Amino acid sequence: MRLNAHPTGELTEPNASQRFAPRDRESFFAAQARNRRATWRISALCVLAAALMGIPLALIITPLLYGVALIIADAVSLFSPLPPEFWRQASEVSRFGRVALDWLLQQKAADPQALAIGVAVMLLPGILFSLALWAGVNLMFRRSGTGGAVLALRAREPKPSELKELQLIDVVQEMAIAAGLPAPQVLLIDAPGANAGIIGTSPEDARLIVSRRLIEDLSRDELEGAVAHLIGSIGNGDLRISMRMTAVFEACGLLVAVMNAPFGSQSRRILWRMVRYSLIRREADPQEAAVVADLLTRSAALEVDDIDRFFDATGKKSRMRSIRNFIFFPIFFTNTAVKLLLWFFSWAALGPLMGLLWHTRQYLADASAVQLTRDPDGLARALQKLNEEPGEIPGGDWASHLFLVRPGRSGNTFATNPQQRQMLAQAWAASTTPASASMPAASSDFAAISRQLPEIMHAAFAGDERAAARLRSLYQSVSAADPEFAAQFPNPDDLIAARKGDLEAMSRLRVARPHPSALGQAGKQKDQAPSSPETPSLVGFHASLKRRLKRLALLGAHIDPVARDRKAGIVILALSLLLGPFVLLAILMLLLLIAVMTMASLTFVTIWLAVIHKLFALAGSPTA
Amino acid sequence: MLISPPVIGITVAALVLIWLIAVFNGLVALRNRVQNAWAQMDVQLKRRHDLIPNLVETVRGYMQHERSVFESVTEARAQAIVAGNNIPARTAAESALSGVLGKLFAVAENYPQLRAVENFQILQEELTSTENRIAYARQCYNDEVMKYNTTQSTFPRNLFARLFGFSPASMFAGTDADRAEVYVKL
Repeated sequence: MRLNAHPTGELTEPNASQRFAPRDRESFFAAQARNRRATWRISALCVLAAALMGIPLALIITPLLYGVALIIADAVSLFSPLPPEFWRQASEVSRFGRVALDWLLQQKAADPQALAIGVAVMLLPGILFSLALWAGVNLMFRRSGTGGAVLALRAREPKPSELKELQLIDVVQEMAIAAGLPAPQVLLIDAPGANAGIIGTSPEDARLIVSRRLIEDLSRDELEGAVAHLIGSIGNGDLRISMRMTAVFEACGLLVAVMNAPFGSQSRRILWRMVRYSLIRREADPQEAAVVADLLTRSAALEVDDIDRFFDATGKKSRMRSIRNFIFFPIFFTNTAVKLLLWFFSWAALGPLMGLLWHTRQYLADASAVQLTRDPDGLARALQKLNEEPGEIPGGDWASHLFLVRPGRSGNTFATNPQQRQMLAQAWAASTTPASASMPAASSDFAAISRQLPEIMHAAFAGDERAAARLRSLYQSVSAADPEFAAQFPNPDDLIAARKGDLEAMSRLRVARPHPSALGQAGKQKDQAPSSPETPSLVGFHASLKRRLKRLALLGAHIDPVARDRKAGIVILALSLLLGPFVLLAILMLLLLIAVMTMASLTFVTIWLAVIHKLFALAGSPTA
Repeated sequence: MLISPPVIGITVAALVLIWLIAVFNGLVALRNRVQNAWAQMDVQLKRRHDLIPNLVETVRGYMQHERSVFESVTEARAQAIVAGNNIPARTAAESALSGVLGKLFAVAENYPQLRAVENFQILQEELTSTENRIAYARQCYNDEVMKYNTTQSTFPRNLFARLFGFSPASMFAGTDADRAEVYVKL
């Protein structure tokens, strides 16, 4: 019964007709139109999801806004009484609000018109406030662009005197001409990985970031395909879409920071940096913009923050503290509700939708690239090559969705320049002497080294003494030749010890990596986890390579159709059937929790407001 | 109260006017793109002329025996420049230039030392790129013309395009020889 051993046998060797003419071949213009339509559909869904998120968010924010307004009004009227007309209007507004609240909390029947006004009173300020935050953040970062972090990464202009770099300049010019766009500025970074991306805010100030490794790895027609994808993406207006999407996450962070600002220094620092950045216009420092954007995205994450620290009673316990905690307890509900809400929507609703939206933009850019080069093969091969070893762009995490393929984090993309590679290859070849025949033969080919090295490391971790000896000799010969380069690697003895649980070795490793010069200026932020819109969502921002290649094949690329593994499909189906109900249940529980939190926050904040108002009235009455 | 015949009439008229303005502006933008694409081709032809003296200078020392090849390159370039804006003559000269340049690079394959010279490699890359750019500029021109023509000939825009003074542009078909016929009044 060996017949079933190769269920996909017929697919691995496609016949000629399948190879050269897919049955339902599509023209790139049709593909572009289809993906544009898909973008519209998904962005409509995004707006819907944002609106859904907006309702509970508005329910939480609106009372706070009223609270701030009330406190200001009360404070003002302590000194110069406001006209009674103002207070009459205010109580009218609050009456409508109460109608809506009663209807919502106690299912009390209400007059439809009063209810409509009440709902508007409850929701509009919050919605307007959130929209203003989003628009403000969008505007603020459009002014300076997002290029700062990459520019700080020792990005440099390509040298026309070097053949490979000249070729890059030429290819970019050619593609810009083909697209009828102004040629974007090209910047090279000497990052270890092969990748390329775009940054900027509009086609006019777009910049192309290419890693030096990319132009070494790709042939001219592959390079054309890769550059055409990026230039097509610029021409399709993806930069603006990307700005708007990241502004959503940044606005969420800003919201959390604003809400936490009275309770902790961390949020205040973020706010202060942002205000300073947006007010001081003398230099639109793009690097500062990148830092601020990063801080904002981070502040919406579910981390320990000011509020937790504020209520954290460990250590000092005093009566004052517990009274303070009791008074400010409602804000805890508010904060948690907002954070849960933002997290839930960015992870399970708005985030995945944005991911899907971005997929359509990538397919569209692929189709545009085919329009520009009329050669689907170049791009397809480039994507396949890049995906074998996706290059990390150090410090480029915040914009990873603007890169050609998802920046990888593989450990074997280290040696940047040819001399280092050659030296490593020599050391590798020398290290085989103590090894036995069971070791893979050493080769001077760099690609082979980067394949073999992880294997050896695994063997060494597993306790293979010969592998460990080989690693040790490699490390010694590298550090003898170039100590600075060797500092980028962990000492193999430490690594092996750390694997066995040696704490001292672990701390040594932590100090040794990452090497600051390898990270450039981004090394300043190395203690912070990388943040990007990529991290907190169910659906990544990069479309899967398989789908992209399939679409390219429809456009005429000569790639073997990817064999579909039927067994894996069945397993996935069974798993999703089994786990689906639990995931659904968890989501429902989470939604319920959010609803309860929202209600609690609403009730507490309302009580709070009433108390504050009464206090002001008491303070004000003797003078009035 | 609000929805009375005059109000509806004014609203519809305003909407139609806005639509017409959008159509007109869209067509102007497309026409400008077509003209820009056309201009790109000339820019690239000029660029090729500028590169040739350098190439000949580099090659001269290595290819003593192939004097006739690079002399014909120089000559073709001179003719193309002399032709200036005389379209039929210019197109003929440009395609002759493409031909002899191809021959030059084919002959250069026989001179390993020459191919090893970095300056030659760079020049070869520049000229390859220029040929590519000319081809891409043509492709872009044709794409733009297609968009422009489709936009102005589909209903209901076709009712107004002629009225606004837009006429279909012609595609660039095939070889340089056709260029004379399409040197258009857009």
